[in-house]
Amino acid sequence: MNTVARCHSVSRIYDDEVAPVHALRNVDFHLERGEFVSLAGPSGSGKSTLLHVIGALDEPTDGSVEVDGVSLDGLKARELSDLRLEKIGFVFQAFNLIPVLTARENVEFIMQLQGIDSASRRERAEEALRSLDLGELADRRPNEMSGGQQQRVAIARAIVTNPVLLLADEPSANLDTNTTKELCELLTRVNQERGVTILTATHDPMVMGYAARQVLLRDGEIADEQRETPEST
Amino acid sequence: MSLVKVGQLAWRNLWRQRRRNVTMLVALSFAVMGVVFLNAFLRGMTAQMADSAVNNMQGHVKVLQPGYLDDPGIGKSFVLESEWSPEIPAGQMQGWARRVRVPAVIMSERETRGIEFIGIDPAQESISFVADWTIEGEGLQGPDDRRILVGKSLAEQLETVAGRRLVIITQGADGRSREAGYRIAGTYESEFSAVEKLYVFTGIEAAQALLASDAVTEVSVRLTDAKHQPTVLESLIATFIGLNVFTWQTLEPMAAAMMQLSDAMIYILFIIIMTALVFGLVNTVVTAIMERYREIGMLRALGMRASAVLLQVVAESTLIMLLGVAIGTAAGGGLCLWLSDGIDLSAFAEGLEGFGMASNVLVPVVLPGDLAFVVMASVVMGVVASFFPALRAVRLNPLEAMRH
Repeated sequence: MNTVARCHSVSRIYDDEVAPVHALRNVDFHLERGEFVSLAGPSGSGKSTLLHVIGALDEPTDGSVEVDGVSLDGLKARELSDLRLEKIGFVFQAFNLIPVLTARENVEFIMQLQGIDSASRRERAEEALRSLDLGELADRRPNEMSGGQQQRVAIARAIVTNPVLLLADEPSANLDTNTTKELCELLTRVNQERGVTILTATHDPMVMGYAARQVLLRDGEIADEQRETPEST
Repeated sequence: MSLVKVGQLAWRNLWRQRRRNVTMLVALSFAVMGVVFLNAFLRGMTAQMADSAVNNMQGHVKVLQPGYLDDPGIGKSFVLESEWSPEIPAGQMQGWARRVRVPAVIMSERETRGIEFIGIDPAQESISFVADWTIEGEGLQGPDDRRILVGKSLAEQLETVAGRRLVIITQGADGRSREAGYRIAGTYESEFSAVEKLYVFTGIEAAQALLASDAVTEVSVRLTDAKHQPTVLESLIATFIGLNVFTWQTLEPMAAAMMQLSDAMIYILFIIIMTALVFGLVNTVVTAIMERYREIGMLRALGMRASAVLLQVVAESTLIMLLGVAIGTAAGGGLCLWLSDGIDLSAFAEGLEGFGMASNVLVPVVLPGDLAFVVMASVVMGVVASFFPALRAVRLNPLEAMRH
C-alpha cells in the first residue's frame, strides 16, 4: 500500500466575530491506497473541514497536505482546481447534480471538463452507470429520480474519471435507512471492485460501519481510530 | 469545455426560469424592433429631406458667381457657352440646368409681391421639382416662352388666374430698373406653399431679354448618386475657375444639419433604449447567479475552472441577447417591409414642411450598416454587461457557495 493523502500537523482556524474557531488542531492523518475510511464525530468536530482540506477545497492555516504525492502548499487556485478535477471524486450530501442535464450528461460533464473526446465520454459514462445499475436512468434528469438514485448518479460521476481518491461528505444525510444501506453497499463495491480509495465524513453509524477504518474526531483533533480487522468482520 | 457544450448548457439553463427569461426576451425583442424601426424612420426622413433639398433647384452641385448668395441679381452672373455641357462621366449625371434667377417685384391690378423671377429651360428641369408639379393651365413650352408660371398661392394673393397678365419689375444688367408685362401660362401646385408664393418662372431667353443680358446666374448639376459628388465637385471647380462651386449641403445648411442630427439621433436613441434594457439583463443575470450559488459552487468544487464559469454565465446572457436581437431585428425589418408603401403623415403636414420634407408619405429606409450596428452593438453591450455579474460568480468560494 502507498499513501494517497497525507496531512502533517494541519490546523485550520476560522475567523469569527467572537473568537477564532479552531476547526482542526495539529492533525496528522494519512490515507493509504484502496482504503475505505470514515471520519466520524459530533457536529463541529472538524471531520468535514479535514475532508475539505484533503479535497483541496479549503486551505489549512498551518501544516501541510499532500494528495497523490502532490503538495498542496502554495498551489494557485487554478492548479488546485485542476488537481480536484484530475485526482479527486466528490459526493456531496445534497446530491448536487446539474438539474438541466440527464444522468448520463451529468456523468459525462466531468469528463468534458477534462477534455476527453465525446465517443470515449459516452462509452465511459454508460459503463459507469451500468456498473452501478443505473443504465435505465441514463436519460432521466435529476428531478425525475429519487434521492437515492441521484446519489448513485453522483457516485458514478465521481468514479468515472478513475480518481485516486473519492471524498464523500455526509453522503447519507438526505437518505432513508434502506437507501443509505444501498448507498453503503455501493461504496463498498466501488472500493473493493474498482480499488477506489474512499474517505467519508459522516455521523451516520451505518456508513461508519461499512468503513474499514474509522477515525473519530473531537474538537478538531483525532481522538480515536479503529481499524476493522478481518476477524472482526 | 467545448463551446458547443457551453452553448447547450446555456440554452437549457435559460429554460429553467422560463417566465423571467421569456419576459426579458420579449423586452429585448421589442426594444431592438423599436430601434430598427426608428432607425429606418429617421433614415427615411433624412433621405426625403436630402431629396427635397436637391430637388429644390439646388442639384447636388451648383455653380454661382462669388457674392451671388449675399446679393443675388444679374450683376452676379456669368456667361455660359451655348454648346457647353458638364464633362461628367456617363452614368454619373442625371441632368443639368442653367438658370437666370433674380429678385423681382410682381404686380397685379390689386396686389404687389416680392418674388424670385427665374428663367429656365423647361426641358432641363427634369432635375428639379418643377417637373413634378401639377399645373393648372399650361406649362412653359421652351426657353423662349415669354409667358410666366405662377404658384397657386401667389396667384391667390395677387387675385389673378391663368391667362391674365402680370407686371414684373427687376434690375437689369446695366443697373437700371426694368419692367415687362407677362401673360400667365398656368399656375403650379407645389408641396411647399412658401415655394408657390416665392418662385415665378419664365423661359430663360425671355428672362435674359428683360435683363438685357445673355448671362446665367447658376448652373445646377444633379447626379445619379450622391457618392459621385466629391469627384464632380472637383471637376466643376477645375472648369469654372473664378466662380463658386457649392454642394447642396452648403446651400441648404439647415437640411444638412438635420441629416447630421438624425445620424446622431440614431446612436443616441440606441444607447438610451439599450442601456435601459442592459440593466434589465444584468438584473436577470445577477438573479440567475444568486439562484444557482450552490450549483456554481459545486461546479467549482468538482474542478471547473473560473474561466469556464465566466464563459458559462456570459454565454447565457449572450444567448438571450442574441435571441432578442434576432427576433427584434426580424420583427423590425418585417415592420419596415410592411410599411414599405410609406407611412401617411399628412396629419403633420405643416410640421413636415418645416423639416423640408416634400412628401407627407414617409417611406422607412433600412440600411444594412444600421442593422449591423444594432446587432453588433447590442451583443457587445450584452457581453460587457454580463461580464461583471459573471465575475461575481467566479469569485465565489466553492464551500461557502455550497452552504448557501
